[in-house]
Amino acid sequence: MSERQAWVTRWGLVLALAGNAIGLGNFLRFPVQAAQNGGGAFMIPYFVALLVMGLPMMWMECAIGRYGGKHGHGHAAGMIASLWDHPAAKYVGALGLFIPFTIAIYYVYITSWCFAFSVFSLLGSYDGLASREQMGAFLGAFQGKEANQHFSSVLVAYGFFSATVALTLLILRGGIAAGIERLAKVAIPTLFAIGAVLVVRVLTFGTPDPAFPERNPWQGLGFVWNPHFEALADPGVWVAAAGQIFFTLSIGWGIIHTYASYLRSDDDVALTGTATVGLNETAEVVLGGTIALTAAVTFFGVEATQDIARSGSFDLGFQAMPVVFQRIPAGSLVGALWFLLLFLAGITSAVAMAQPTVALLEETWGVTRKRATSLVCGALFLLAQPVIFFHRYGFLDELDYWIGAIALVVFALLEVIVFAWIFGIERGWAEIEKGARLMPARLFKPVLKYVTPAYLIGILGFWAWGELPKMIALDGVPAEAQPYRVGARWMAAALLLATFALVRSASLRWGRGASRFVK
Amino acid sequence: MTTAGLMFMAASWAVILGVSGYAMWRLIRGD
Repeated sequence: MSERQAWVTRWGLVLALAGNAIGLGNFLRFPVQAAQNGGGAFMIPYFVALLVMGLPMMWMECAIGRYGGKHGHGHAAGMIASLWDHPAAKYVGALGLFIPFTIAIYYVYITSWCFAFSVFSLLGSYDGLASREQMGAFLGAFQGKEANQHFSSVLVAYGFFSATVALTLLILRGGIAAGIERLAKVAIPTLFAIGAVLVVRVLTFGTPDPAFPERNPWQGLGFVWNPHFEALADPGVWVAAAGQIFFTLSIGWGIIHTYASYLRSDDDVALTGTATVGLNETAEVVLGGTIALTAAVTFFGVEATQDIARSGSFDLGFQAMPVVFQRIPAGSLVGALWFLLLFLAGITSAVAMAQPTVALLEETWGVTRKRATSLVCGALFLLAQPVIFFHRYGFLDELDYWIGAIALVVFALLEVIVFAWIFGIERGWAEIEKGARLMPARLFKPVLKYVTPAYLIGILGFWAWGELPKMIALDGVPAEAQPYRVGARWMAAALLLATFALVRSASLRWGRGASRFVK
Repeated sequence: MTTAGLMFMAASWAVILGVSGYAMWRLIRGD
C-alpha cells in the first residue's frame, strides 16, 4: 500500500476540521434557534448538550479516525470494522459514507446560491428590490420555482452550481495537504475576518429609521439574547439545543473520522477536538449570534423579525439580508462579503463531505486521486439534477430531513455504542488520551458511556414521538409535491443500498489485502 | 437588551473565546 497522506501542520488540520464544522447553519440556523427557543436561556441547554454530547463525541470521532488511519482506513466503514470484529460493523460504518455523500448532493447546490448571490450583490442585480416579498420573487425565480422578470429559468443557478462542483473537484484533486489544508488555511481566517467586519458594521447601524427609535442593534441583540426561562420547562427546547450542537459540530457524519485518519499515531486528538469545537462555537455564537438577526431587528423591527425567523434560515439569509444591504452605504460590498462568508463556510464543508468517498475509492481499489475525485464529483453532479429541477416540490427538504436530521443521529448513536460498549470505554478512553497534551477530564469517560447515548436516544425518541409520523404521512405537503417527496425517499434508499454494496465489495479486499487491517 | 440578556451574551462569549483561544494557543505553541 502506498504511503497515506498526512496534514502538514496540526493547526492546518484544526482549520480544516473547523471548515468542515462551520457551515451555513452557524450563521443562519443558530440565531433563529436561539431566538425561538428562549433567547439567552437557550444557551443553558446548548452548553449542557455541548458538554455531554458535542465535546466528548468530537474527541471520540477524532480518536476513531486516528485509530482507523493507523489500520489503513480513511473512511468510517473500515474504521468501525477495525473497532468491532463483526460482519455488521462495516454496514454501521457505511452510514459514515452514505450520510456525507448524500448531503453533499444538495449542499453543493445551496453553497452555489451563496456564490451566485455574492456576484449578484456586487453587480447590483437585485438593486431596487426593497421588500422581502420582492427578494423572495427574485430568489424563487433564480431557483427555478417560478419564471418572472428576474430569471426565466433555472439556467443561471445551474451555471453557478456547475462552477461550484468544478471548484470542489479542483480542491479535492489537490489531496489533503495541497487541496483541503491549503483551502482551510486561506478560507477560515478569511471567514473570521469577514465575520468580524460584519459584526462591527451591524453593531454600528445606529437607528436607521428615526420614526422607530426602538429599532437598533441593541434591541436586536436583546431579541437573540434576552432570556425567557419559562422555555426551559419545554423538552422541545432541550431537543432543539441538542440538535443544534449536533448539526453545528458535524458529529455523526463520518467526516471527522476521515480528516482525523490523516493524523500521525501520536498526534493529540483531545486538543485537536477541543480547538475545533472552540473555533466552531466562536463562529456560531459570537459571529452568527450577532450578524443576521440583529441586522433584521434593526431594519424591520421585532415583529417582522419574528416572522422572518419563523419562515426559516433561507428567508433570513437570502431575502431579509439583501434588503438590509440595500439600505446601507456601500451595501453591495457588504452584501457581497456576507454571501462570500456563507460561500466560504459552505465550500469548506462541501469538500469535507466528498472526501470520505474519495478515500474509500483511493484506498480500497487503488483508484488514482484524479480519477476518484472525478468519479465522486461526477456522481454528485448527476445526482443533484432532481434536487435542482424538483426544488419547487421540496425534493431537497425531504432529503435533508431524512439524512440531515435523522440518519446522522442514528449513526452517532450506533458509533458511540460501538466505541464505548463494544470496543470498550477503557480502550476507547486510552485512545483519546494517547498523545494528549491537553488531558480531558476523566469525568467525561462515564459521560461518553452513559449520558451521551442516553441523550441521543432521547433526541431520536422525541422526534419519533412528535415529528416522524407527520413526516411519514407527508402532512401539510401539497398533493402535487407528494410524488417528488416519495421519489426523494427512494433515491436516498437506493443510495444507502448502493453504499452497502460498495462497502461489502470493499470489505472483501480489506480481508484479502492484509491482516494488518484487522485488529 | 435587558441586563440578564447582556449577562448571558457576555458569559457565553467569554467561555467560548477563552476555551477557543487557549486551545489554539496550545496548538500553535506545540507546532
